[in-house]
Amino acid sequence: MKKLLSLSLVLIMIIALAVPAYAANDEIIINFPSVWVGTDSKAPYMEQLIEAFNAENAGSIKVVVEEQTDYQAARDKLRTTITTGETPDLCIMDTTYDIKGYSEAGKFMDLTPYLDEGWGDDFAEGAFDAWSVDGKVYALPFESAIFTPIYNTKIFAEIGWDHFPATYDEFFQFCEDAKAKGINAVGQMAGENAWTSMLWYSLIVEAIGGKDVYANGLEDPAFVQAADVLKAMYDYTFDGAISAGAGDVNGHWLARDTAIYLNGPWWVANLYKEDNAVDGVLLADDCEVALNPVYEGGKGEGGLVTTVQAFLAAAKQDDPAKEEAVVKFIKYITDPQHVSELALSSGAMFFVKYDPSPETNLISQKLTEVANNADFSILHVNGAFPTAVSTEFPAAVSALVLGEVDAQGFVDQLQLAIDMAA
Amino acid sequence: MKLERSDRAPLWAFMTPALVLMLVFFVLPVIYVIVISFMKWNGINTPAFVNLRNFMLLFRDKAFKRSVINNVIWALVAGFIQVPLAMIMAIILSRKPKGWKFFRTVYFFPQVISGIALATLWRAIYRADTGLLNALLNSVGLGHLAKDWLGTLSTAFPSVLIYWIFYVGYYMVIMMADITTIDDSYYEAATIDGATDFQQAIYITIPLIRKTSLLTCVTLASVMGLRQFEQVYMLTNGGPANSTSTIVLYMYKKLQDANYGMASASAVILIIIGVVFIVCIRKIFEGRNEEAAALKKAGRAAG
Amino acid sequence: MSETRVRAPLHGKDLVLAVLRWILIIFFAVYTLFPLIWLFIASLKTNYEFLADSPFSLPAVPQWQNYVNALKVAGLGRMLLNSVIVGVAATVFNVIVASMSGYCMSRFRFNGREQLFTLFTAGILVPLNALMVPYFVIINKLGLYNTYGGMILLYCAIGIPMSTFLIRGLMDSIPMELEEAAYIDGCGFFGRFFHIILPLSRTGIVTAATFEFLTCWNEFVFANLIVSSEKLRTIQVGIRYFTNQFSTDYVSMYAAIMISIIPSIIGYVLFQEQIISGMTSGAVKG
Repeated sequence: MKKLLSLSLVLIMIIALAVPAYAANDEIIINFPSVWVGTDSKAPYMEQLIEAFNAENAGSIKVVVEEQTDYQAARDKLRTTITTGETPDLCIMDTTYDIKGYSEAGKFMDLTPYLDEGWGDDFAEGAFDAWSVDGKVYALPFESAIFTPIYNTKIFAEIGWDHFPATYDEFFQFCEDAKAKGINAVGQMAGENAWTSMLWYSLIVEAIGGKDVYANGLEDPAFVQAADVLKAMYDYTFDGAISAGAGDVNGHWLARDTAIYLNGPWWVANLYKEDNAVDGVLLADDCEVALNPVYEGGKGEGGLVTTVQAFLAAAKQDDPAKEEAVVKFIKYITDPQHVSELALSSGAMFFVKYDPSPETNLISQKLTEVANNADFSILHVNGAFPTAVSTEFPAAVSALVLGEVDAQGFVDQLQLAIDMAA
Repeated sequence: MKLERSDRAPLWAFMTPALVLMLVFFVLPVIYVIVISFMKWNGINTPAFVNLRNFMLLFRDKAFKRSVINNVIWALVAGFIQVPLAMIMAIILSRKPKGWKFFRTVYFFPQVISGIALATLWRAIYRADTGLLNALLNSVGLGHLAKDWLGTLSTAFPSVLIYWIFYVGYYMVIMMADITTIDDSYYEAATIDGATDFQQAIYITIPLIRKTSLLTCVTLASVMGLRQFEQVYMLTNGGPANSTSTIVLYMYKKLQDANYGMASASAVILIIIGVVFIVCIRKIFEGRNEEAAALKKAGRAAG
Repeated sequence: MSETRVRAPLHGKDLVLAVLRWILIIFFAVYTLFPLIWLFIASLKTNYEFLADSPFSLPAVPQWQNYVNALKVAGLGRMLLNSVIVGVAATVFNVIVASMSGYCMSRFRFNGREQLFTLFTAGILVPLNALMVPYFVIINKLGLYNTYGGMILLYCAIGIPMSTFLIRGLMDSIPMELEEAAYIDGCGFFGRFFHIILPLSRTGIVTAATFEFLTCWNEFVFANLIVSSEKLRTIQVGIRYFTNQFSTDYVSMYAAIMISIIPSIIGYVLFQEQIISGMTSGAVKG
């Protein structure tokens, strides 16, 4: 046994030392860490798209995807690589990155010349405005998202409601009725990144403060009022919401014990998945899209909470051929035809203008309608403030709900986080 | 042994690999951390010297203070509850009761299971709705105690702390190894004198492993307690209301905010606390250990 | 040491102690095993059974499909192999380097020895997350990004403080007289190391090796940071892959967790004799 052990040791060492050497040839390699992999709703079509691109450019360009399924780990790595000047050839980023900071510091390729050649016309009007630096686009807003409640009509009927509450007063009446029937009205979570609660908070903030709520940071009284409303919602969610994560919120919603669900449009594909059907009935068949209720005395009517769910940014390249290759690939991804397919397969929304496929599912169509009918839109809270707010949010919201701090204290806690990072 | 002239060259040859690795992977990076702890840096702009600002902010931050307290509790519990438990089990199993090999194997299982698997497992146990713990309480008529264990201020930190305490396998195996080196003649003599198992443990085993494996285990366990990160990150992410936060988790969150200055400052504070801990533990154990070591040596020579 | 130990017959207090002893033994065993068994049963339920039924109920029909779902997602075999390669290589290099430095710092007095050892020990305390940026730069500058070599070097290095601490601790307990006798017999620096100190410090070396291997086996942050190719990914990266993929599908996630646990336990059971005999035969008796 001892001999066998030492023999296998030696063998393993030899394998380990024989570091795989990657043959270098003229092929340009584009290194692309991506979270659109695995069971992500955009994964199947993205994989197809990248395979097709590699086939078309066989021998000259090859996109190599680095699969990242852990969002936080992907963020840690991307932040580290950018900081050390090793930015991947193409990155997917969301608003928790300091997009403007990186752009100003010249960490990314300037895409403006290419966009000016007509490519920019493929994108929605004004898509670049909020994120460009000195009129130049370094991070391309690609995937958009709107956040509006979806509700389960079957559960609503069980509770005795035939419509979605139009105001927040009515909303809490509904919650009471649901509670009386032992049903969770909403799914909240203060664990992990408190994503769902952050979205609800954004909706309430929008309903109270309206279009210009972010104009003076966290000064607007809407933030304090909204905190109280959010806290009240925790009386109408499942047990253990304080320690719950996104998996729990989604799990309860899929188990049909929550009446209302709030998440981005990319989640729509899951409503149509056979795996999530019960007794052969798709969840989507019981679902209806609703609008953010109106807050009486608030300024939010007609408004919508949105975000840039994903930017595409590329590393600066010294080699013009490689720059061409990277741009070619970004253009390929953002091609309206491809984006249309991507939207169809995932339900996600995009800044690229495209003709929606006639096969687009009903829920996605309704969400698009909501997006088109909105009078104005604001970002969600994570997107509107520096990263420190999204990091602090779970701690602040659990302190609020557990009575450690009051609504003012909740806002102060977020403000302190911003101050410390500034 | 005095260093002979002829040993000087081979000595440094032997030290070099470790010295180089320490220099490259610890000394230089830690100097970097110390320098950054006096800077304001977001990973994008040029770092700016801000004197003690980061440390001042840390000491004013409730979440950081809570993290320090949690870490100190953790280190103390690990060193002075978990390790003694491990010692008791090591003494018991080294008397070779029936099936001791099986138990030794089982106790070690948690060490080979990854932190994330354990965290997932314990999240499932602590769940408010379908969790094992609440179900156990309900089944023995203590249903009124059922709660969201990880989501209640008073229970979250104890819950995170307690489950780990009873995983004693690693320290137990280290101490068992040490106990087997104790010469049998001690026990034989004690038995003849009519000493019970319990007395033998108190007067022979514990003094003899005190300076060696017990000290090692207490030091290891406390350091692990101070460096605690993954368990908390996976189980609660520091929540609710930062009540389960630890220094490394706090630091990690500052890294997420690209607040490299405060992250580095908290790392520096952790290192300082750790050094204090190690020095104190050594002081506590140094006591009468000279005679213990002498006793042991004598025993070995006799064996 | 003799195989059987002379014992006093059980009576009175000893009987109470014997009962207490077995209560403890069984408590710890149940504490370790019961949750694992429970998770295994949960992993065979459907999500509805898991959320709606009593946590103690058995699945109506065992859902082995959950395991199929979990296995479909990632190439587990390759990841396990990578973890073994990286873990074993890093551990071997690590204990070689640490035994050499431990020998020097334990057996010889030279200027700055204690300061040096304090420096090594302090290394144990460094929170490695804080070093993501410098480590990434170092591995990149050495051209070791995305290689086995990079992971092996990094893991070997980050374990040096702990291994040196453990190995030197053991070497300190070896009586000086043994070595001095050999010295008088004309045994040189290397001879004393290989023939006397190394065999006598087996306990410490195996303890350190076990610790180092478990560190490598369970490490995630750097495994993800300094590697990009799927071919080089370790099991921890794979487990994250699982848990993220199945965060709403509890039962498949539990199946994935079981799949990740089982090889570790089998590996441990197979090798434990080597590990434990290495740890316990610390042949001081010579």
